[in-house]
Amino acid sequence: MHPQLELLLQIQDLKAQRRELSESGGGRALEEQEFNIDLDEAVTQLDARIEELKQELPPQVRSRVERFVETGGRPVVSVINGICYGCFTAVSTSSVADISRNDALNYCENCGRFLYVIPG
Amino acid sequence: MELREFFDIDAVSLDVRGETKDDILKELIALLKLDDKSEGILFKMLKRRENLGSTGIGRGIAIPHCRSLVVNKLRVAFGRRADGVEYNAIDNQPVHNFFLIVAPPLEVSNQYLPVLGKLAQFAKDPEITRRLAELNSPEEFLSLLEEKAK
Ligand SMILES: [Zn+2]
Repeated sequence: MHPQLELLLQIQDLKAQRRELSESGGGRALEEQEFNIDLDEAVTQLDARIEELKQELPPQVRSRVERFVETGGRPVVSVINGICYGCFTAVSTSSVADISRNDALNYCENCGRFLYVIPG
Repeated sequence: MELREFFDIDAVSLDVRGETKDDILKELIALLKLDDKSEGILFKMLKRRENLGSTGIGRGIAIPHCRSLVVNKLRVAFGRRADGVEYNAIDNQPVHNFFLIVAPPLEVSNQYLPVLGKLAQFAKDPEITRRLAELNSPEEFLSLLEEKAK
């Protein structure tokens, strides 16, 4: 896997976790009540880790990430059965073959999000 | 929605061997049979979740969990270790039973939180620790889930 794609996946996963802890919804209550998590501290810790990982990205990749963050979108999405799960359009067949090993940093021609193909 | 339907028999191990929290997490992840790279990413995520606060919820049970792009649907696994392992659990007791739950960041069916909640409830059943200790096969584990769903 491309090292920057791995970083992007980690950032995205941490953001999903952050969202769950900061938005009112089942996850927040569950983490607080069943697992005794200090929500504020957890969010601060996640923000710090996300920022650290972002700094490891080259500037041009980072700015693409920021662009999606500003609009509230996810910068990395999975490709399932040839469909980009960011914009739900088909990724061109030749690119699906190219990106299936995740060893290059690719993005969707339609929505611009980085693409990750779930192996197997 | 019943817990039983999410557990694959191959993802149940009554003989987890890891001696540390990290080793156990790796063993649980291995039960999901992902590729090496995905396993590594998942391990990092689960560790980060544990750093926010242990998922050892007491009475010898831990429920490590996270969302990650490396899975395309909700995945669960169960591991049991005869001798408990130090897990920084809420009650400071060693942990014997481990339920792993992983889900993609966006799920069409929204199963992750309900399953997590159900497992947390399951873990509170007063006889569950004894029943889990008495299991002789993964099949018996699945039957126990079915029995408790009634
Ligand atoms: Zn797209």
